[in-house]
Order: sequence, then C-alpha cells, then structure tokens
Amino acid sequence: MIEISNVGKRFGNFTALDGIDLKIPTGELVALLGPSGCGKTTLLRIIAGMETPDAGNIRFAGADATRLHARERRVGFVFQHYALFRHMSVFENVAFGLRVKPRKERPSDAEIRRRVFDLLKLIQLEWLADRYPSQLSGGQRQRIALARALAVEPKVLLLDEPFGALDTKVRKELRRWLRRLHDEVHISSVFVTHDQEEALEVADRVVVMNRGRIEQIGTPDEVYSNPASPFVYQFLGNVNVFRDRVQGRWASVGNEALDGTTDGAENAETNPVAFVRPHDIEIEASAVEGAFESTVKDVHTIGPIVRVELLHETELIEAELTRERAHALSLTRGQTVWFKPRQIKIFNVPGNALEEGGSGI
Amino acid sequence: MSEAIEKANAEPRWLRALLLFLGLGFLFLFLLLPLVAVFVEAFRSGWNAYADALSDRETLHAIKLTVVIAFVVLPVNIVLGVAASWAIAKFDFRGKGLLVTLIDLPFAVSPVVVGLVFLLIFGMQGLLGPWLEARGIRIVFALPGMILVTLFITFPFIARELIPLMLSQGADDEEAAISLGASGVQMFFRVTLPKIRWGLLYGVILANARAMGEFGAVSVVSGHIRGETNTLPLHVEILYNEYNAVAAFASASILALLALVTLAAKMLVEWRMRRENEALDAGFLPERGVALPNRP
Repeated sequence: MIEISNVGKRFGNFTALDGIDLKIPTGELVALLGPSGCGKTTLLRIIAGMETPDAGNIRFAGADATRLHARERRVGFVFQHYALFRHMSVFENVAFGLRVKPRKERPSDAEIRRRVFDLLKLIQLEWLADRYPSQLSGGQRQRIALARALAVEPKVLLLDEPFGALDTKVRKELRRWLRRLHDEVHISSVFVTHDQEEALEVADRVVVMNRGRIEQIGTPDEVYSNPASPFVYQFLGNVNVFRDRVQGRWASVGNEALDGTTDGAENAETNPVAFVRPHDIEIEASAVEGAFESTVKDVHTIGPIVRVELLHETELIEAELTRERAHALSLTRGQTVWFKPRQIKIFNVPGNALEEGGSGI
Repeated sequence: MSEAIEKANAEPRWLRALLLFLGLGFLFLFLLLPLVAVFVEAFRSGWNAYADALSDRETLHAIKLTVVIAFVVLPVNIVLGVAASWAIAKFDFRGKGLLVTLIDLPFAVSPVVVGLVFLLIFGMQGLLGPWLEARGIRIVFALPGMILVTLFITFPFIARELIPLMLSQGADDEEAAISLGASGVQMFFRVTLPKIRWGLLYGVILANARAMGEFGAVSVVSGHIRGETNTLPLHVEILYNEYNAVAAFASASILALLALVTLAAKMLVEWRMRRENEALDAGFLPERGVALPNRP
C-alpha cells in the first residue's frame, strides 16, 4: 500500500502538484491520466524518489518514505524512452540491479544467470539475451526495460508513459501484455499516460489529473460513465457542450423529458453547462417527442462508426451512430433530421470558461 | 555511368573546379608544404645529424619536461572537466550560464596574457609570491607554474566536448541505475563513463596536443632556464634563435609527428563515435508478437 498525503511540488512559479491525496492498494494497476503538464509524471517521480515534494508525505506500507533515497525505495521505474544501457547486452541490462548490490546481498553468478533467464522467459525474449539494445525493436526494448526493473523484486512498478514511443498496433498489444504480466507477478503498478483509451482498457483504477490536482479517482467505468467534473467529461472521450441554454430548453430536457442529472443546476449564480456524449444522441428522420430539429452538415464514416455533424440553430452538434443506423437513415448533407439526447449531465461551471484539453465542441 | 546525368541544381563545372582548386591549393600551400618543410629541414644534414640533435641532453630534457607536464595536466583536467560537465548537464543552479561562459575563457584570452596573469599572482612582485617564497615554494620560473598555466589553457577542451554530449544524453540512464540500487560511484563507472568515453577521449587528445604544444603562456612563466624549464616548443625557439636550424627542425619534427598522431587518433575516435551513434539511431527492427505463452 502506498499512501500519498497532501503532496505539493512547485517548479519556480509553476505549481506542478497541489495537495495530492492518493492511496494505491497492493496489487492494483493504477493509471495516472491527464493532459501534458498536469503533474502526473512529477507525481510518479516523487513516488520513485527522483523528485522531492515541497509539502506532504509518502508512506510505503505504513513507513514514511518521503525522504528515502531513490536507491532504497525498491521501486522499479520504466521510462518512456526505455533508458536501456546501450553498452550492455540485454542480459547485462537485466542483471544490472543484481550486480550492483552490496557484496553481502549479491547473488552468485549462477544465481544471477538463473534469475535473469527466468525474467527473460517471463517476457518471452530469452533468445535476445546476447543482443544489444540498438539491435532491438521499440516494443522489445520496453519489455527488456520492464524485466530489468523487475529483477530487483521491487515493491512497486512505476511506468512513465511506457508505450508513448511505440506505434499504435504495438502499443495496443503491449498494454494488454502489461495487464497480464501485472496479474502474474503480483505487484502494485502505477503508470502514467495521456491516452484515455490506454488507461480505461488496462487499469484497475484511473486517477484523472488536471493542473496539479486530482479531478477524480475511480474504476475505468466510473470515470467514463459518471465523470465527477466537466474536465473529466471532456477529457475522457468526445462530448457536446451546451452553455447558457440550460435554464431554458436544455434544462427542461435534462430534468424532465430525459434521465439527466442536474447536480444543483437550480443555483442561478453559476453558469450551468450541459454535457452530452456523441454516442448518446439519437437521430430520427421525422419529428418525435422531445427531439430538436437540425440540419445535417457533414457525415464521416470512421471505421465501425459514423460521425454526424448537426447544425441546430447556431450550434454544431456531434453525434455518433452505428453504420447500420446511419445506413437505415441514409443521411445526406443538408437533410433535415431530429435529434434527441439519451443522456445529459449538467454541471455548474463557475463563470470562467471550460478548460482547454478536452475535446468538446 | 552517372556522370552523364547532370543535376539541375548543380553548380557549373568551372565553378566546381575553381572551388576545388582553391580549397586544395590552400591546403597544400599552408598546411602540407610547411609540414614537409619541417622534415626536409630536419634531415638536411643527414640522418646522423638528426639523431645527434635529438640525443642532445637539453633536447632530451625538453622532451621529458613536455611529457611530464602533459602527464600531470591531463588527469587533473579529466577530473575537473568531467566534474564541470556533470554539474552543468545534470543540475540547475544559479550562475550556470556564467560558469559555461567562464569555461570558454581560456580560449578567449591570449596565452601570453594568461602567463602574465600567473606571474602577477605567483611572481615575486605578485600577490601570493612572497608568501609562497617565504615557505620555500616556487611556482613561477619552475615546473609548478608551467603546469598551472597549461592546466588553465587546456581546461576547456574536455569540458566543451562533454557538456553537449551529456546534455543530449539526458539523465534517464543515470536515474534508471539509481532506481535499480546503484550507488553514485557505481552509476558513474558502469553507466555514465561508458556513455561518454569516446567524447572524453576526444577531449583528452585535443587537450594533450595543446598541452604539449603550448608556447605563449608557458614561455612567460618558464623563465627560459636551459635544461631546466624548457619545454619542446620553447626549446625549438631557442635553437632557432641560435641559428641551429637542423637541431631546431629536428625538435620541431617531433612536434609535427605529435600533430600527425593526434590527427590520426582524432579521426579514429570520431569514426568510433559516429558508428556508435549510428547504431543507436538505427531504425527499429520489425515487431514480433508479444503474447504470453499459455502457462500450466
């Protein structure tokens, strides 16, 4: 169990982290998710002992580790760009952590050999033992980096954008592989990512961060289907944002006609904003109860889904349909259709505008 | 066979010939010809005269002194250069920009001025001279002073080679080593040093060439005591001023040989560095499947 309480970190005038509280139970795979500059990597480096927090403390299994040197923390760290020792063979890279142990604790050469090959088998790359990092592919390098980190039997595995430098296909394979590996070695893992798909697919728990603060902690399903803040709503997936009109027709839609949540939208002091996911919008060819008239501006087929841009009065609305549904409607540009939000969430946003970084329209 | 194909954006043939002629002509006239002249002059009176000139007691002493200075200066400069580069590349601190500028100072100042400054500090009329003299320590007009000015003159070579190298390499490898449990010393010798070894060697080669060839600064602090404080470059000048051309050029030929060895070593190291970087930048190999096998 790693407990992080009230951790803060500043770089000059920039507040990287501000009052972070987070508990990472043993055996969990946790994703720190957020846009670049949100402080997620700084938090990871503080857990690893590569940065010192200005405030707050960190406990490993109940013992204070805030001032513990990185060397003594028993954390495995995996870097985005692998950081393999390029002048050493794969075998020597993985053996490094064992070879630098003080003489008393250092295993014999035979024992080192056995443990390195066990790890290489675990990552299925024992046939690469004599190669050098420059002779490996990106995915192989990252798996070697992982084996190297696991060699010292760390209490926690920390991964900083581990798949960020790989291409899409390898990234997908490798993250599923990481999930299985994590289950196999029984270890706590924390990985940093800005890719929401990656976090939602792999993690037991997702920590959404923004501007040095934690916005929400929850299972992938919780953070996606029940976002705690407008930021989380916008960061996890596409969303349509409707402002200023909530007190009028949208609010009535949200409150009565549909099963929307209002979270105190009756407070007129702040600015209520409605959020609707594109796939929560239904399109009908003819007028139905509670639907709004609109014009089809554009239709894009993206693999299995069809993205439709609708113009309702002056607002552009994005909707996502299945191919079948789009086909049944036979949508064309300029056509008049009726759309109806299936689910709306309303937040009260204090005066200022919504954060950038989301993908709202 | 490709000669027939003229690139559309190529310079006209006559211009290429002119540039080639200018470049090679300059190289021949100003670099190759003097080098040949040194050896021709040295051997003008035959091999025996050459050998005699080199086996002269004072010449041998000058060679020895030059080597001794280089032997003392280089290790010190390696330690200082690595330390300064490390500090600049890995830490952020106040006055970092000033330090980087100061490292270049020896390049910007005329060596004669460097020698004079050391005279001012350590000479008999200088700041520390009388104090040191009272304790029987002689810096100026002796070996320690010559070592000090050579240290000063050659300091930038290693640091300037290492700073950009270390900056481009970042600190990931070092952090990885520490998180794997390595101590600072283990990290340096097992991870950092292998990464910078060719850059370091390159800097050492250049620093060595300069340490052995330095004239101005060493000349000022040496006091020109024959057979005592004469390094090879100073010795060449003395011999030449005495119209002993054969001996002067014989000694000069050793310096010229040093230059040739330096060039060869420099090329070799450059080639190794390039090869290592190419291996590093080489494109990724095709991916293979990453599925875990079915475990019992």
